[in-house]
Formats: sequence, structure tokens, C-alpha cells
Amino acid sequence: MAALSPLSIALLVAVTLGLAAAILAWRERPEPGATWLAVLLAGQVWWATFLVFELEAATLPAKALWYDVQWVGVVAIPVGWLFFALAYTGYDRYVTPFSVALVSVIPVATVAVAAAGDPGNLLAVDRVVRETAVGTFLDIAPGPLYYVTAGYTYLLGAIGSVPLLQLIRDDARPFRGQSAALLIGTAVPWAGSIAYLAGAIPIPGLDPTPIVFAVSGVTYLFALSRFRLLTLAPAPRRRARQLVFEQLHDPVFVVGAEDLLVDLNESASETFGIDRRAAIGERAGAIVPRYDAVRELDGERGSPRPMSIVGRDGQRPYEVTIRDVVDDHDRTTAKVIAFHDVGAYLGQQQRLNVLNRVFRHDVRTETNLILGYAERLRADATDERALAIIEESAGRMLELSERTRTAGELFDPTEEAKSGPLPDVVDEVVADARDLGPDARIETGRVPDVTVSSVLRVVLENLCSNAVRHNDTETPWVRIDAAVADGWVEVTVADDGPGIDPAEYDVLDRGTETPLRHGSGIGLWIVKWGVDHLGGRISFAEREPRGTTVTVSVPIDESGTAGTSSNEGR
Amino acid sequence: MANEPTRPSTPDGTTEQHRSISTTRRALRGVAAFAAGAPFTALVAAVEVAVATAALGVPRSTAPVAVGLVAFAVYAADHVADAEGDAASTPSRARVALRYGDQLMTAAAVSYGVALALAVRAGPAALALVCVPGAVWIGYASDWLPALGDVAAPLAEVSVPRLKDVFLLNSAAVALAWAVAVVAAPLAFGGVAVEAVGLRTVALLFAYVAVRSFVDVEVPNVRDVAADAARDVATFPVVYGVGRTRRVLLGVDALAAGLLAALAATGTASRPALVALAAGLAVSVAVTALADRLDGATLGVAPDCSYLVAGIVLLALGP
Repeated sequence: MAALSPLSIALLVAVTLGLAAAILAWRERPEPGATWLAVLLAGQVWWATFLVFELEAATLPAKALWYDVQWVGVVAIPVGWLFFALAYTGYDRYVTPFSVALVSVIPVATVAVAAAGDPGNLLAVDRVVRETAVGTFLDIAPGPLYYVTAGYTYLLGAIGSVPLLQLIRDDARPFRGQSAALLIGTAVPWAGSIAYLAGAIPIPGLDPTPIVFAVSGVTYLFALSRFRLLTLAPAPRRRARQLVFEQLHDPVFVVGAEDLLVDLNESASETFGIDRRAAIGERAGAIVPRYDAVRELDGERGSPRPMSIVGRDGQRPYEVTIRDVVDDHDRTTAKVIAFHDVGAYLGQQQRLNVLNRVFRHDVRTETNLILGYAERLRADATDERALAIIEESAGRMLELSERTRTAGELFDPTEEAKSGPLPDVVDEVVADARDLGPDARIETGRVPDVTVSSVLRVVLENLCSNAVRHNDTETPWVRIDAAVADGWVEVTVADDGPGIDPAEYDVLDRGTETPLRHGSGIGLWIVKWGVDHLGGRISFAEREPRGTTVTVSVPIDESGTAGTSSNEGR
Repeated sequence: MANEPTRPSTPDGTTEQHRSISTTRRALRGVAAFAAGAPFTALVAAVEVAVATAALGVPRSTAPVAVGLVAFAVYAADHVADAEGDAASTPSRARVALRYGDQLMTAAAVSYGVALALAVRAGPAALALVCVPGAVWIGYASDWLPALGDVAAPLAEVSVPRLKDVFLLNSAAVALAWAVAVVAAPLAFGGVAVEAVGLRTVALLFAYVAVRSFVDVEVPNVRDVAADAARDVATFPVVYGVGRTRRVLLGVDALAAGLLAALAATGTASRPALVALAAGLAVSVAVTALADRLDGATLGVAPDCSYLVAGIVLLALGP
């Protein structure tokens, strides 16, 4: 066996390292890009292997044969590179059987021409054997297909490098290292190929490309082991980030610099009933809820104020946060507007606040009353008035306790949401009110047969019981009416009582109580919380000549069935 | 001071000295478990090829080195791939494979790369030959064939099993791969045509190595019978029981003896090589006869030791 030339040693090193890296890459399947990296490395090994055979061959036909065989490896490399880069960086949607077939057309055609013996001298117009100091080479004069394939190879290489170049500037050190190693491993053979095509290699017939595959092998092996290439691929990041945007519970809009809507997530589409396809590209003011108010928030500092917005689930309070999307040159290219539903949080705060007042003020007052009159009873056991006052006070405390329990049950997260027909709800409420005030005249107007949440029953029950209980006439009058419009149901409860103290509305409007400004009892708060819970609205108006009209508007429960029947004028 | 009792010096109650000894023992056990795995198989493969080179009377070449490297690569990769499944039958080797899986795979990959480079240097026939065990291993151990079968016949509801799980074919595939590598490697790496040695000689040696390899694959399966049965891997001991397996394998050894006699009758094989092969066969018969009485570790290496005996005999007699 003849002694190995330095050239052969270099090629055999390239074969060794290339195959080792290919096996390690193959082992990592199905990690993104593993198979295609193995294809790329196998192509390198193939090319270097058959170049050795070409060098060792003694005759022109034998050298030509091994030269033609090398084309399989030559054309596999750019295809493997392109699809590896796409899969590895998360652009795997472009790696499809169709795209692979399409990209492989020219490589397959090149191999077919080589296998057919290069008819028409498409690959090489001339082939001669050159004796040089480093070996005997087949020196070819490239044909037209040679240049086409070379250009195509560079094109695929450049396309594949784009996503990898983006990783060079990545925040994550492993990805920077991986991409740098990959680009070096690929750039070195390209440099050799360009030098060969440019005639910069002084040895005729010597294409250094497969020789420098040894460098590629080292860098790929380094990337595989040191930077955990393939086991720590960035591919999932793109999808994960997209998934976070899409699956985020909060509605999010992306508005471009020209106030045009660039994107919105699924939650935004569902919450505000927006058709995503139609919305993108439209003016943000026409799509983003209360966009003018949102823009005003943009310049404000401090914690954002909640704003009420009507969506598919009714009216909800949202805190809006706005973040600038800044490019690499610190230019703001878009704004991300996120709506965070703070209804549950605010409701909890209010409940804590009110219950605190109930214990601190209402219970204390009643307890003091009971203690005081108990003292009088101790002094005079026949004091009927003291006994009656104690009984009344205890009764109020019991009622307060029951309402507090109602409030707790209303917002119990473990309770399954129930719904029912509005006529049934009204019937039950009327029956309860008649039990409470047998002398009361309770009328109902037209009540459409729509489905509503059971929470509305609690709301109406409190309104009716207040109307009966706090009415100072001998025969209290209460009337319930309902109407449906645009997916909402509006229920009106009117009475002829003394009216509600405006201070009570004020506290409800503000949403907070203070030691000096607070409501009486908890009934109206239950009404407000129930309406808020349903995403509805509530309004109070004085009646002429006396009394109050309370109007509650809530969305119809779409999960139920709506009908047209009504129970009018009972 | 010499009689002072040794007191525990570590929180776990062991003495420093005890800990050092146990750590050293563990390390030695690990090295031994590793050496008894792929490196041992590589050594056996290299010796086998060296004996075959002598038997065929072809010039010395890099064939033993290349085949040894390929054997190391294939078996190391296989041990890593099946480490969890091997935990019951070869726990020490499985522990090493699980703990140093990445390092073993890197060593295996570089090993195969060097073997390929040696083959490239030797020529196209050697290159094709070195590719055979790797291709067989892919079919033998990986899920490539089942995946390919699923792609080819998605509607047929017929899944192609791993070659490793197919009764008889699994051992036959390994035996044939060994026979191809051991007999063809000296010819391919030496650049000698089959005709130059004699087709009959080559065929007989090939058959001999194949049936001997079959025995060498099945004998350790006696040790693995419980683990293989648990994993639904059908082997002779799993299907026919240990006693019947031993009788069948002794019959196969008898067939190998007949092939060896026929090889000797051709008059082309070198006498020292024939004697060496006969010595190896005698060891194999002894191991097969004692298959159900040897402990697991011994049974794992004993069949392959027959080739080491053959190699020592050959060295003693001179090629």
C-alpha cells in the first residue's frame, strides 16, 4: 500500500470527523434539523470519500467515474443545509415534501446527468489528468450545468444562512455559539469553493472544498457537544412565543406606527367579537375598544385606571397596558395594547371593603343596641319595648348574616354557573316578595322568554325585597318589566316607596366605602356585585310622584335557549 | 496507635479509608463493566479478522483494526440505545451506558469514522464492507424499519417489527453481519480477489464463521432469557427453553466442526489457522455445554473468549 499523501490524510480526517458528526446528528432525531444536518454531513463525507478514490485512480476513465460519483454528495450538501437551517431555527413549516421535492429538482437533474455519463458535456466540457506535486488530479473545464449547480448551491447556502445569522445576535449564548459554529463550518468550504472557481488555487484541478470539510467536521462536532446543537435547538422558541401571544387570556392588539391594526390575539377576537382577518389592516380606532381613551393612557405615568368596556361577556372593567415594540435601531415600530380584566379583582376588593364595614359598623351598632336594652331588661324584666328592640336588632343581624352568606355564595368559584328562563326567574322573585309582604301589590309586565344567569335572580330578589321591605305605604306597589335588545335584556323594577338615599348611589358609583361615606346594609351591594358579575349595567331613577325605578341590563345567556313566549300582565 | 480502633469520620458512618476503598472498587467495577462491553467485542472482532486473514492466507492489512473499530462503534451504540432494557441482564454495563451515554456515542461515532477512513484508504470494496455492519445495525436496533413499514403500508394495519425482535432472524442477521465482516474484510482490505484464494475456501470459512457467530449470539441469551421474555424479544432460550437450546447449539457447533473439516480438506487454508480455529471451537463446545451452569457475567464473555483462545494459539504456532 502506497504512503499517504498529505492531501489524502486531510481528506481522511474530513471523512472521519464528518461521519462522526453525521452519526451524532442522526442520533438526535427527531430533534429539529437533526436529519437534515445528517444529510449535509453525509454529503460532505460522500464527496471527500470519492475524491480520495479519484486521487487514487490511475486512469482518466476511472478518475472520471469517481468524479461523477462525487456529484451525489456535492448536491446533497446545499439541500441539507437549507432544510437544516429552516428546521433548526423554527421555520419548519417550509420543510414539506413538496418544498423538498421542488428544491431537489436541480440537484437530482445534476446527478442524473452525471450518472448518464455527462451527455453533451453539460458538467464538464473537457477532462484531463494533471500531475502535480500533491497528487494526480482530474482537471475539468466546467460546463454550463456545472455553473448552474454551483450558483444554485450558493443560493441555497445564502438562504439557509439568513435565519442562522439572526441567531448570531441572540440573547442566549448557546444559540449564538451554535450559529457561529455552523456558519464557520459552512463558510470555510464555501471559501474554498469560491477560491477554486475564481482560479485562486495554484494547483490545477485541485478543488479544496472537500479538504476543508475537516474544519467543518470539527466545528459541527464542537457545536454538537459544546453548544448542545440539536438538543438545545431554538426551533421551539418561535412557536412558543406565538403560542403565548395566541393563548394569552388577556385580549392583546398590536397597532402599527400608522395606527393601523397589525395583529390581535384569539382572546381579543373572542372577547370583543372581532373578525381577525377583516380587522387586520383596519384603522385601530375602528377596532380597538375605546381606542381614543387608550391613546390618552399612553402618555400617563403610574398605575393605569380601569376602564369599562362592553364585550361579548357584557361590560367589564379593564386595565390597559401599552408597550412599545422597538427595533434594533431603537425605533418604535408598533404598540402592544393589552387589556387585563380586573373585574374579579375589583369585586373582591369591594367585598372585602364592604364586609369590613359590616363587621366594624353594622354588627357593632346592633350589638351595642342589644347590650344597652339588655341592661334595661335586667333592671326591669317587664320592659316590653326593650325586648322588642332587642328582637328587631337580632332579626336585622340575622338578615345581614344571611345576605352576607348570599354574597359569598354568589361569587363562590366552585359553584357551577346556572341559568334559566327569565319568566321563571321573575315568577320566583315575585313569589318571594309576596311572602315577604302579603299586602304588597306586585305586577309584572311583558317578560320575554330568554335565558339568563341565576345570578340575576339574586339581583332581582334583593331589589324586590328592598322595594317591599322599605316601603312606608300600607300596600306597597312594585312592578317588574323586561325587554330584549341586541343580545341584552333590560329588567326594570319600579316601586312607590320613599326612594333611595342619593348617598347610597354615590357609594355604589365610586365603588368604595369610607368610614364616613358608606351605604346601609349590604343589599344594594349584592345587587351591584351581581350586575358586575354578569357584565351588566345598573341605573337608578326617581319616579313621579314618588318611588324609584331601578333598571338592570345584562347580556342574555347565550348558552341557553331563547323563545318568544311571554307572561304578560299578571 | 497501631491498635487504635478506626472511628467513623464521615456523616454516613463510613471511615475515610472504607469510603476510598469502596469508591475505588466502584470505579474498577465500572471500568471492568465498560471493558467487558464494546471494547471486548472490538478486541474479539479484531482477533477474529486476524485469524481469518491467516486462514485465508492473504497479506496483512488494516482489516482487523477497521473491523474492531466498527464492532466497537456498533456495540457501544447498541448498548447505549438499549441501556434501560439491559438493566436487568447486564446491570453494570447498563449503568455505564446510561451514565456515559453521550461520551460513548461520541466515541462510537469517531470510531466508525476512523474505520470508514481506513476503508476509504483501502478502496471501494473495503468501503462497502465497512458500511454493511452500520446498515445492519440501523435495521437491527433502530425503529427505522417499523417507521418505514408504517410509511409504506399505512392502511394495511401491518407494522414491521424491529429486526432485533424477530425470532431467529435477529441472531441470523448478526451472525451473517459478523461472517461478512470477518471473512470479507481481509480480502477487501488486502486487495485480494476471491478467486485468488478460492471460492470454496472463502465459502466454507464464511459458513463456519456464520454458524459459530450464531452460537455466540444465542449462548448469552440463556443469561438474558428473563429480560428478553419481559421485553417480548424472541430468542432460542425464550422460545424453546434452556435445555433444548443447549442441545440445538451443540448441534450447530457440530456443524461448525464439519465445516472446519471441509475447510481443512480443501488444502488451501493454513494449518496453524485451522488448528487455532479448532481450539476456539473446542472452547465454544465447552461453553455451550455449560451454558446453564455458568454465571451471567461469565456467560456474557465466555463464547467470545473462544476467539481469543484461537488468537493465542495462532500466535503460539505462528501464522
